Amino acid sequence: MVMASEDEVSLLVIVVDVNPIWWGQQANREPQFTLSKCLDAVMVMGNSHLVMTRTNKLAIIASHCQESHFLYPCKLWKSGDGHGDDNASTSGDGKYELLSVANDFIAEEIKNLMSRTEVKGNQTDTLLAGSLAKALCYIHRVAKELEAGQEIKSRILVVKAAEDCALQYMNFMNVIFAAQKQSILIDACVLDSDSGLLQQACDITGGLYLKIPQKIALAQYLLWVFLPDSDQRSQLVLPPPVHVDYRAACFCHRNLIEIGYVCSVCLSIFCNFSPICTTCE
Amino acid sequence: MDEEPERAKRWEGGYERTWEILKEDESGSLKATVEEILFQAKRKRVFESHGQVRLGMMRHLYVVIDTSRTMEDQDLKPNRLTSTLKLVEYFVEEYFDQNPISQVGIITTKNKRAEKLTDLAGNPKKHIDALKKAKDSTCGGEPSLYNSLSLAMQTLKHMPGHSSREVLIIFSSLTTCDPANIYELVKTLKALKIRVSVIGLSAEVRVCTVLTRETGGSYHVILDESHFRELLMFHVKPPPATTTSECSLIRMGFPQHTIASLSDQDAKPSFSQAHLDSTSGGPGLSMGGYFCPQCQAKYTELPVECKVCGLTLVSAPHLARSFHHLFPLEAFQESPLLLHHRERFCEACQGELKDKSVFTCLSCSSVFCVECDLFIHDTLHCCPSCIHSRSAP
Repeated sequence: MVMASEDEVSLLVIVVDVNPIWWGQQANREPQFTLSKCLDAVMVMGNSHLVMTRTNKLAIIASHCQESHFLYPCKLWKSGDGHGDDNASTSGDGKYELLSVANDFIAEEIKNLMSRTEVKGNQTDTLLAGSLAKALCYIHRVAKELEAGQEIKSRILVVKAAEDCALQYMNFMNVIFAAQKQSILIDACVLDSDSGLLQQACDITGGLYLKIPQKIALAQYLLWVFLPDSDQRSQLVLPPPVHVDYRAACFCHRNLIEIGYVCSVCLSIFCNFSPICTTCE
Repeated sequence: MDEEPERAKRWEGGYERTWEILKEDESGSLKATVEEILFQAKRKRVFESHGQVRLGMMRHLYVVIDTSRTMEDQDLKPNRLTSTLKLVEYFVEEYFDQNPISQVGIITTKNKRAEKLTDLAGNPKKHIDALKKAKDSTCGGEPSLYNSLSLAMQTLKHMPGHSSREVLIIFSSLTTCDPANIYELVKTLKALKIRVSVIGLSAEVRVCTVLTRETGGSYHVILDESHFRELLMFHVKPPPATTTSECSLIRMGFPQHTIASLSDQDAKPSFSQAHLDSTSGGPGLSMGGYFCPQCQAKYTELPVECKVCGLTLVSAPHLARSFHHLFPLEAFQESPLLLHHRERFCEACQGELKDKSVFTCLSCSSVFCVECDLFIHDTLHCCPSCIHSRSAP
């Protein structure tokens, strides 16, 4: 296996779905797999990625129903390596300082996030498209700030818990096309129900989609399937690609159709022909 | 023909004192001015939002490339022809990226004749292969505007009324050799609603000015290679639709992608229709693919027009690629950094705000840095904060 040289930077952005409603219900359904266990698995994955090569970079975003928050790296932290200005940050078990500082930050930030937000009204859907947009902007910034001669390869790993929100379709597709243009892979690790949007994202960008059969083994699946980067994936036997349904839904009944009528001006899709398009006339 | 007043040529205007832009500061360094110039260059991308103007989404575009004697000039490196072909390849890729359901054809003109390099098609690979092969062709003789336009017109006049008909001419010579009166042809083009635009490589030619003005296209002359690229990219965006184009519903098919494997009972390998005529070798026999919902003919790639029944086959993401033209993102408001007292971090990339000005989204009042602003408007097409506060576009 080729060792990555100093010139190649691999950036992994993990987007974790922390929808409080879904996780609250989950705590009643399966008490042995809660949000803290999930974040433990994500921290293990993040640490492993940082340890693989010295030049690897990591970012973690929590996707909530009202905002997306960067759990790591922290805004107030100027450089990527911890300065270790706190005595409390040096852990007693001899762990690599970067990892212990990162873990502490993540734990602190997620506690703050969950305690300060209150769910208002009927906004119960996770704002996944927004988190992915912020992840893309962050990757774009890191790519601009590289030193001369360094190349960057980035990918985004989405850990999804709650169901899809159909209203986000257009924003989601914009984000997917932007990721495809920048050659950024989107991988998806789905805990509960299958997500059509994420299946399309993985198919279009070339990433991996996996629905986990057993949630308590999340750490194992993350390390087995999602830790190797795209060059190494050709050498592994990974879960086969899923069948993606690319049929369009008609605007009048929301049925999936195989043959439809598309308006030439506004591109809305109808199942029956009519001389005037109802969206744009 | 001469009723419209010609705008003043550059040499007819007053002197511009361009040296006054450079100002030194107290220590005599030009650093602040250079940074300002770089900043302005980054912001030079003009994104005019068309607002509620209808755009022509389904486009039929012919690119006419002049391959006459003047294309062997070496003012564009290595010579004009190679540079043009490379840029047109890039243009074709970007064009299909932004307009997935449109079609492009290529015509070349030399020796007073015009010849079709590729027919109107929706698949970029064919065009790119033809362009690569054309690099070895010789240039010679004079171009003929009349012949190339009438060749393009023969196909474009049969196109349906709801699509936009366009011709883009890359014209390098200063002369054209026409068998008949070109002004008559311009009248015919105008009647058929074909929009002709020209990119000149040498200098402004009057017949091109008249041609583009009458048909509603644009005419620019390049300054250097990067300007050439910019002018080509200008034509990738869909133009505003002419008021008389009809709006109609077009019948299209959305085939499913079947991935059959050898272990399935009913899986049978079959040939793809698109490969039957191709000479690129390979057996072409495959298990899965896209099956036309009307006639069950198989294809390996979309979008494509079914050869058997004539139905246009697309997939939903292809249409979704054009949505950002219909709902364009508004430009953000620029304001100086010093007046900004809130957070010092860009909301999208979490980086510190170090540039001279910051950009605010008018609907959600979040603040972005220069790089994120460019990225959001060029590639992302949606504001990262707006999609948090609103749930529907």
